Amino acid sequence: MSGRPRLAWSALALVLVGALVVGAGGDDGPRTNAERAEALSTQLRCPTCAGQSVRDSNAPAAEAIRTEVRRRVDEGEGDEDILAYIDGQYPDSLLLTPPRSGLGSLVWVLPVAAVVVAVAGLVVVFRRWRAEPSTEVSDDDRRRVAEALTGEE
Amino acid sequence: MPEVNAALGSAGVTLGFVASVLGALTLVAGLRQHHRTGRGGDGGRGMLWLGRSFAWLVLGGAVLAAVAMEIALVTSDFSLQYVADNASRSTPLLYTIASLWSALEGSIILWALVLAGFLAAVVRRFADQAGDPLVAWATLTMFVVAAFFFGLMLGPADPFTVVSGAIPADGPGPNPLLQNHPLMAFHPPILYLGYVGFTVPFAFAVAALVTGRVGEGWLAATRRWTLVAWGFLTTGIILGSWWSYEVLGWGGFWAWDPVENASFLPWLTGTAYLHSVMIQQRRGMLRVWNLSLLIATFSLTILGTFLTRSGVLDSVHSFTESPIGPALLAFFGVTVVVSLGLIGWRGDRLRAPGRIDSPLSREGAFLANNVVFAAFAFVVLLGTVFPLLVEAVNDDRISVGTPYFNRMTMPLGMVLLFLMAVAPVLPWRKASGELLRTRLQWPAWAGTGAVVVAVVSGARGLAPLAAFGLGAFAAAAALRQVVLAGRASRRRGGSALAGVVGRANGGMIVHVGVVLVAVAFAAASSYVASDEVRLAPGESATLAGHTVTYLGMNEPNRTSQKTVFSARVRIDGGQVYEPALNQFPNATQTIGTPSVRTGLTEDVYLTLVAGPEQPGDPAVIGVIVQPLVAWLWIGGAVMALGTILAAWPGERRRREAATTDAEAPPGEGGDGDDDDDDARVGGEPAGQRAGGTGPVGGDRPGDDSGDGGDASPATDPTPATVGGR
Repeated sequence: MSGRPRLAWSALALVLVGALVVGAGGDDGPRTNAERAEALSTQLRCPTCAGQSVRDSNAPAAEAIRTEVRRRVDEGEGDEDILAYIDGQYPDSLLLTPPRSGLGSLVWVLPVAAVVVAVAGLVVVFRRWRAEPSTEVSDDDRRRVAEALTGEE
Repeated sequence: MPEVNAALGSAGVTLGFVASVLGALTLVAGLRQHHRTGRGGDGGRGMLWLGRSFAWLVLGGAVLAAVAMEIALVTSDFSLQYVADNASRSTPLLYTIASLWSALEGSIILWALVLAGFLAAVVRRFADQAGDPLVAWATLTMFVVAAFFFGLMLGPADPFTVVSGAIPADGPGPNPLLQNHPLMAFHPPILYLGYVGFTVPFAFAVAALVTGRVGEGWLAATRRWTLVAWGFLTTGIILGSWWSYEVLGWGGFWAWDPVENASFLPWLTGTAYLHSVMIQQRRGMLRVWNLSLLIATFSLTILGTFLTRSGVLDSVHSFTESPIGPALLAFFGVTVVVSLGLIGWRGDRLRAPGRIDSPLSREGAFLANNVVFAAFAFVVLLGTVFPLLVEAVNDDRISVGTPYFNRMTMPLGMVLLFLMAVAPVLPWRKASGELLRTRLQWPAWAGTGAVVVAVVSGARGLAPLAAFGLGAFAAAAALRQVVLAGRASRRRGGSALAGVVGRANGGMIVHVGVVLVAVAFAAASSYVASDEVRLAPGESATLAGHTVTYLGMNEPNRTSQKTVFSARVRIDGGQVYEPALNQFPNATQTIGTPSVRTGLTEDVYLTLVAGPEQPGDPAVIGVIVQPLVAWLWIGGAVMALGTILAAWPGERRRREAATTDAEAPPGEGGDGDDDDDDARVGGEPAGQRAGGTGPVGGDRPGDDSGDGGDASPATDPTPATVGGR
């Protein structure tokens, strides 16, 4: 590999990292109270409608929760406290993010475990393929070839 | 003469059911005869011919049922329970016609109609191979599926039930949400064409397993059918999200709602299949995996229908609850058990010797693609059914919503974008790092350029920036392939337009569409700004650089269907938009109609949250500003176009491409892994296409010439397939 492509790729990496640092650095999450309240209301399920978040629903119950969230944000309460308070007001959980402990945590753990197992499986398979450079020809295969050549089965 | 429609419809359903059963039985008889007599004599050919003809009767029954229901709907025949529940005299004609799929029983008619259409198309397409057991078994499988759906209509989901007691004078009409936008007339039928279309490759997969002809012949025979189903499913999903955006009034287009997930799951496994099947056609490998993906795709359409139509899951789409749940669940179970049993039974023939030489190769990238798609499908399925599982175990009711799905699928989506950039430039078998560095240089600069442009124009946040960069990277890699293929075609004296035709090249256009959708999704969901403002007439508010001015209300527009209260809102001192609230006569809730200023860079989305109490009072206007939303729909259209191009018969160039493309980089320009046109299943023992070194199914010798790789086609182990019986 000549020096020029290497230089080009280094330049590219430099530009990319620079741009990402600038771009990621400017992101400090929701800033105003309105933005915070809106972000929180996407985390809560509307208690009276099927499958919609509090932010996306115009149902009176969602309306009421939005007002309450905004009031608590304005009072300076923390995000977790607000979510926990609203969630505690209703018999069924309103949190759209499943819990990270207990049985509910399986929904987080299982996919990660599945991916790890799948990738590990692939690695093992590739290792094995590399270890045996050519495929063994079994007697079965020879018989099949012979059969095919004689045109009979 | 109200009973006529019910009688005609029931006759249609019965005809469809009986014809499906008779067709299946005749085919079984023909296959037994064929098996017993072997190649001598008639070989069951007469029975097989007769059996397939029942497909036309099945189609006739389905058409009769659908026509009877449409006539009943259009002529307001309220003696039918379904019409009484879902139609009204005041509903406009378009929505009355669309009422066929606005509730459960009618949508089963549509399902059966589409299935019967596919069945008839298969029978017609393979007419000259009707005596082939593989075709017969595929047709038989489709008859069985058809019998199940017609059976549903005979039993738990009878659309032609007659009302008991007095015939009502009028009905409530469809759910107001379903009669508020013309897309409702198109989204469900197109989605069903995709859903049901996957029955065809599934049926051929079952047939391949039963006959033991698990070679590559059946894949070639169903390639285009699968593409068509996939294209319709893609279009149906995009149209659904467009409908949601235009109607539901929350400015969103994807909510990870169970019904959306139910359509997305088969899309994920179907997409995985479209990629991994290329490894099998090339190398004869991954047979069990590909069969499993097809079986999963078909089973997931049934499971999705069960989840969303049985009422077990809460969903804004579950307009109805019904007793068909157990039947669908049982059918799902039977499908899975029978299919897996067949795979187990044919295990010996499915073993394909062969290996993938290097992870850094086209097939290595496809494998990675499949792992990611499988993980994606697993996340979506788990998230959808998880509340049910938890409730079953300890009675807790938890929700798994958008935050979960977004967080879990985002990294998977990023990996997919990355693979989309790298895979197309990878040659089969083996690639060197240097080859990648050369081929990916310009796509990588395109990606970096996109990040820089995004940062300069004010975009912030690592995730969306990564999505933009990877998206541009992938799009540039796809366009590079198209340009190279066009050039190669020109060198051969063809048209440069050939660069976009055929599986590989059309697939690149699909990739560009996927990138557009992914970038639009990332931008719209990351940079949405929304607010609700209370404005008196003449007052203005500003959001994300846009000024909205409330001018006042229009006079209420009363029609027999609904009453519309619309506001006049001026955006940025320009055009006036009219978000509205609709009051339907038979609904308590008002349904909003958003009004959207659509632009290529940004949408301004207006809703009327609450009208004024008294004329001249303030109104509450919802304002949502989202960038790039229009590119979701454009990207969807590009994907549909790419699918058509991929299914288009490409020029036949496989062999000359291998020999005349000497100056092109290996595996580049006019990608040769293309177009098993006019694929026939072949009456010959399968495996004929699977040969590792043949010019049809195997590697093109030209592929590896420039890699400096040591893999030569001569070492390609011929997959051991034994055909016939």
